[in-house]
Amino acid sequence: MRKIFLTLLITACTAAAALAQVKVAPLDIKERVLANGMKIVSVQDNSSPTVSIHVWYDVGGKNDPPGRSGFAHLFEHLMFKATARMPNEKMDRLTEDVGGFNNASTWPDFTNYYEVVPSNHLEPLLWAESERMVNLSVDEANFQSERKVVQEEYRTSVLDPPYGRLFWYLDDVTFQKHPYRRGVIGDLDQLQAATRADAEKFYKEYYRPDNAVLTVVGDFDQKQFDAWVDKYFGSIKKPAGAIARVTEVEPEWTTERRFEKFAPIVPFPAAAIVYRAPRTTSKDIPALRLAASIMSGGESSRLYQALVRTQQIAQEADLDLELNTEGGRMTLLGIGAEKGTSQNLEAALLAELKKIQDGGVTAKELEKAKNQLVSRAIRARETNDGKAIAIERAVAYQGDPKAVNNEVAALQAVTAADIQRVMKQYFKDNNRVVIHYSQEKKAEGEK
Amino acid sequence: MIREMRIADYGMRISFCLTVIFTGVGSLFAQDLIPAPGPARPVAIPAVREAKLKNGLTVAVVEKRSVPIVTVQLLVRSGAVAESIKKAGLANITADMLTKGTKTRTAEQIAEEMEFLGASINSGAGWNSSSVTMSVTSDKLDQAMAIMADVVLNPSFKQEELDLLKSQTLDELKANLAQPAFLANYVASVRAFREHPAGGTTASVEAIGRADVVEFHKAAYAPEQSVIIFAGDISSSQANALAARYFDGWTSGGPASTKFAAVTDKLGGSKNIASRILVVDLPGSGQASVNFYRAVGSGRSAKEYYTASVLNSLLGGGYSSRLNQEIRIKRGLSYGAGSSFGWRSGTTNFSTRTQTKNQSAAEVAELVIAELRRLAESDATETDLNPRRLVLTGGFGRNLETTGGLTGALADLYSFGIPAGELNNYMRSVSTVSPTNVKDFASKFLHDGEIIIVGDYSVFKDDLAKRFPNMKIDVIKVDELNIESPTLRKSDIQ
Repeated sequence: MRKIFLTLLITACTAAAALAQVKVAPLDIKERVLANGMKIVSVQDNSSPTVSIHVWYDVGGKNDPPGRSGFAHLFEHLMFKATARMPNEKMDRLTEDVGGFNNASTWPDFTNYYEVVPSNHLEPLLWAESERMVNLSVDEANFQSERKVVQEEYRTSVLDPPYGRLFWYLDDVTFQKHPYRRGVIGDLDQLQAATRADAEKFYKEYYRPDNAVLTVVGDFDQKQFDAWVDKYFGSIKKPAGAIARVTEVEPEWTTERRFEKFAPIVPFPAAAIVYRAPRTTSKDIPALRLAASIMSGGESSRLYQALVRTQQIAQEADLDLELNTEGGRMTLLGIGAEKGTSQNLEAALLAELKKIQDGGVTAKELEKAKNQLVSRAIRARETNDGKAIAIERAVAYQGDPKAVNNEVAALQAVTAADIQRVMKQYFKDNNRVVIHYSQEKKAEGEK
Repeated sequence: MIREMRIADYGMRISFCLTVIFTGVGSLFAQDLIPAPGPARPVAIPAVREAKLKNGLTVAVVEKRSVPIVTVQLLVRSGAVAESIKKAGLANITADMLTKGTKTRTAEQIAEEMEFLGASINSGAGWNSSSVTMSVTSDKLDQAMAIMADVVLNPSFKQEELDLLKSQTLDELKANLAQPAFLANYVASVRAFREHPAGGTTASVEAIGRADVVEFHKAAYAPEQSVIIFAGDISSSQANALAARYFDGWTSGGPASTKFAAVTDKLGGSKNIASRILVVDLPGSGQASVNFYRAVGSGRSAKEYYTASVLNSLLGGGYSSRLNQEIRIKRGLSYGAGSSFGWRSGTTNFSTRTQTKNQSAAEVAELVIAELRRLAESDATETDLNPRRLVLTGGFGRNLETTGGLTGALADLYSFGIPAGELNNYMRSVSTVSPTNVKDFASKFLHDGEIIIVGDYSVFKDDLAKRFPNMKIDVIKVDELNIESPTLRKSDIQ
C-alpha cells in the first residue's frame, strides 16, 4: 500500500500544466519567508468554500536516531496529542468535528501534517499548527499508547499483507550505508526501545520554524491570510543552532547482491531487482518517469503485455520509482501468477530491460507516456488539496514550490534518445540488488 | 506511513465519529485562546440535467468547468445480485470482459488507444450494479467516447480472453484469501448475510463459461435499465449529443432480469448483541481480523438510510468514531477500527471491522460488543451527534468537488432508482436525524449478530473461551473451509 501510494504521488507531481490542446493556467503561487526562517506558500482560489492547509517539516525516516528505526513516524503520531494549550486530539475537534479532515504522513525525506476544512475555519487551524510547532507536551501515557498503535500499524502493513514483508526487505537489504536502509515503519524492537526523552530531543531538533514550510490553497483573502500568518507564525522565535542533517553518503553499488527471503503466507513467489535512482533534482528524472510509464503505466505497457498477458507468469509487473532527495530506488518488480517463479520473473523482467536498452522506445510510446502523465497531473488539480500536495512535493523534491509550474515543459522536452540513455546509464548488471521472495518451506511431514 | 488508513467501505462512504471524553475538559483548556471561526460559506450542490434517449437510456449531466477533465460513467442496474452462488463472480467477469475485445478492436488495441489519449477506463460490478467509468481530458472526449461505447455495445467475449481473465481472477482470489480481513468478509457473505461473495469463489469462477457471460450481458446491459453520467468540462447539450451519437443504436437484448435480494432479516431473534462466534483459524497470520456482522431489513431507499448513516458516523465512520476511540485511541489495540453499511435495495449488510495482534482478539471482540450495546441502550446526546453529522455533510460536499466524486454520488442514487434530486436533500436529511432515531435503529436492528474472527487461533483460544463462556464458538481451519457447504466445511465429518 505504502509503495503504491508513494509512486502515485511522485508521479502526480511530475507534471503541472498543459499538453497539446488542453490548457491549464500555472498555479499563481505567492511566497514569503518570515524573519524566523519559516517559508509560506499560498494560492488563493475562491471557487469552493474549502481550504487545504499543509505544514511540511524537513525531517523524515532518514533522520531516525541511531537504534530507533521508525522513530520519525512514531513522533508524527505524537503530534496529535496534547500541547500546552490543547488537550489530546484537539486537532480532530478542530477539523473532523466541523466537517473537515486531517492526516499526516512520514516519508523517507520529510513529514507533513495537513487539514482540509470549510474555509471559515482557516484561522483556528493556523493557530493550532503554530501551537503544536512550539508547545507539544508528550506525557508517558500518550507515548506508550501511540507506540502500541504504531506497532499495530507495523503488523497491519508489514506482517498481514502477503507481500508486506517483501517491501520491508527492500528497505532492509538495498541501501548499505545511507539511513534510507531503515524503512520508515521501523521494526518492533527498535520502536519498543524508544523513550519519551527521545521524543523531546527529536522535537527540539527538528520542529522549528526554519525547518518548516506552510502551504495553503483555497478560499481565503490574501491580505487577511498574511496577517494571520504574521500573528501566529511570525511571533515564533528562531531557535539558535544548526539543524542536524544526514551526513552518511551511500557508496556506489558496484557488484550484484542477491537475497532469498521468505514469509509464512506467500500465495505466489515474487522477484524484485533494485537499482539506485539519482537525486530528485537530477535532470534525468523526467526521462526516468516517462520510462517507468512506458514499462508499466497501464495495460498497454511493456511489462504488462509481456509478463501478465503473453507469458502469464505475473499478476503484477512494474517499474516502480521511489525517488528520494538523496537518491532513491528504482525497482523492477514481478508478483507471480500461478505459473510464476522468482527465477522466471527475474529473467522476464531483465529481458524487457534489455529490450528497452538495446532497442529504445518508439515515438508513439513516448507520446502516450507524456499524455498519461500530463492527464494525471491535471486530474490531481481538481481539488485544493491536490494542488497543495503538488506544490508540497515540489518543495520537498525540487526545493522550490514554483517548480510545480515547470514540470510539464520538462516532460515535453524528453526525447526517445534520452530514455534509452537513462535506461542504459542507471540500470546495470553490476549495480543491482536482486531479491527472491517466497513461502517458507515447511518441515517434512508438517501440515 | 500515514496516521490513519482510510479503509474503503462496501459502498464508498468515508466515515467518522465523536467522543465525549474532551467535551467537558475542552473549555478548561484553550477555548478562549483559539480564534473563533468566521461565518460559514454555503456548499453549492451542483445542478443535474437529465434527458432520455428514444431507447430509454437516461443521460445525466453535471457541468463543472474548473479543470479540463470529463468523467463519464455508464451504469447498468444489475450486478452480483443477479448471479447465483454456483456462478458467483459472473457479473464482475462480464464487466471485466468488456474491455478485453470488441468486434473491431482487440484487448491490446483498447488499452493502447485509451492510454494514448491519456484516458483511463475501468469496468466492474458491485452487488447492485455494473459500470464502465472513463476519465479523459476534455479535448479528447469524443475519441475516448467512441471506444467506451464500443466496449459496452460490441464486446466479442473471446474464449482465450475469458480463460486468461479467469486465471487472473483465481490468482487474485488466492492472494486475497491469505489476508485475514478479506477472508472474514468472504465467509460473512454466506454465513451472516446469506448471499455469496460478489467476486466469486474458486469453484464458481472455474464454472463460468462463455455462454454464461454472453447471456448475462444480453439480459443485464439494456438501455432502459441504464444511465450514462457525465461530469466535468462539458455542457448538457454537448453531452446529450455525444450520448445520442454513440448510444442511439443500442437496443435491448432481452427482457430485463434485474433481481433484488430477498429480505433476509429475522427480527425477533436474540436480544444479545452477538449470538455466536465463528473463528477461521489461519496459522501464521500477523494479526487477527475481528468483525461483527448483521443483516438489516431496511434498504437504501428507506428513510432509515440517513439514520443509519449518522449512526455509522458515530460508531465507526472515521477517526474519532467510538470504535476507533475505544480500540485505537484509548487502548492502542489497533491501527484503526470502523463500521459500515453495505446497501442493497431491500436490505443492508452491517459490519464492524478492525485488526489487532492475535493476543488481543478476544478483548477487542468484547469492546466491539460493548459499543454496540451502548448504542442501543443509552441515548447519544446532541453534543455527540452534531460533529458526526458535520463529518457526513462535510465529506459529502468535498466529494462533489471532483468529477469522479460527482459521477460516483449520482451512480449510487441511480443504482437504486432514486431520483438525482435527492442530492439536494442530503444535507438536510442528515441534519434532522435525532439521538432517538439512532437509538431506535440500533435497538431494532443491531442485535443477534455474529462475531467472526480470522487469525492464529492457538494464540487467543484460551482468552476467547474465558471471556465468552456462554457463547457458541465454532472453529474452522482455513484449509477445511468451503463456503459452498452449509457447514462451511469441506468434509462434514470432523
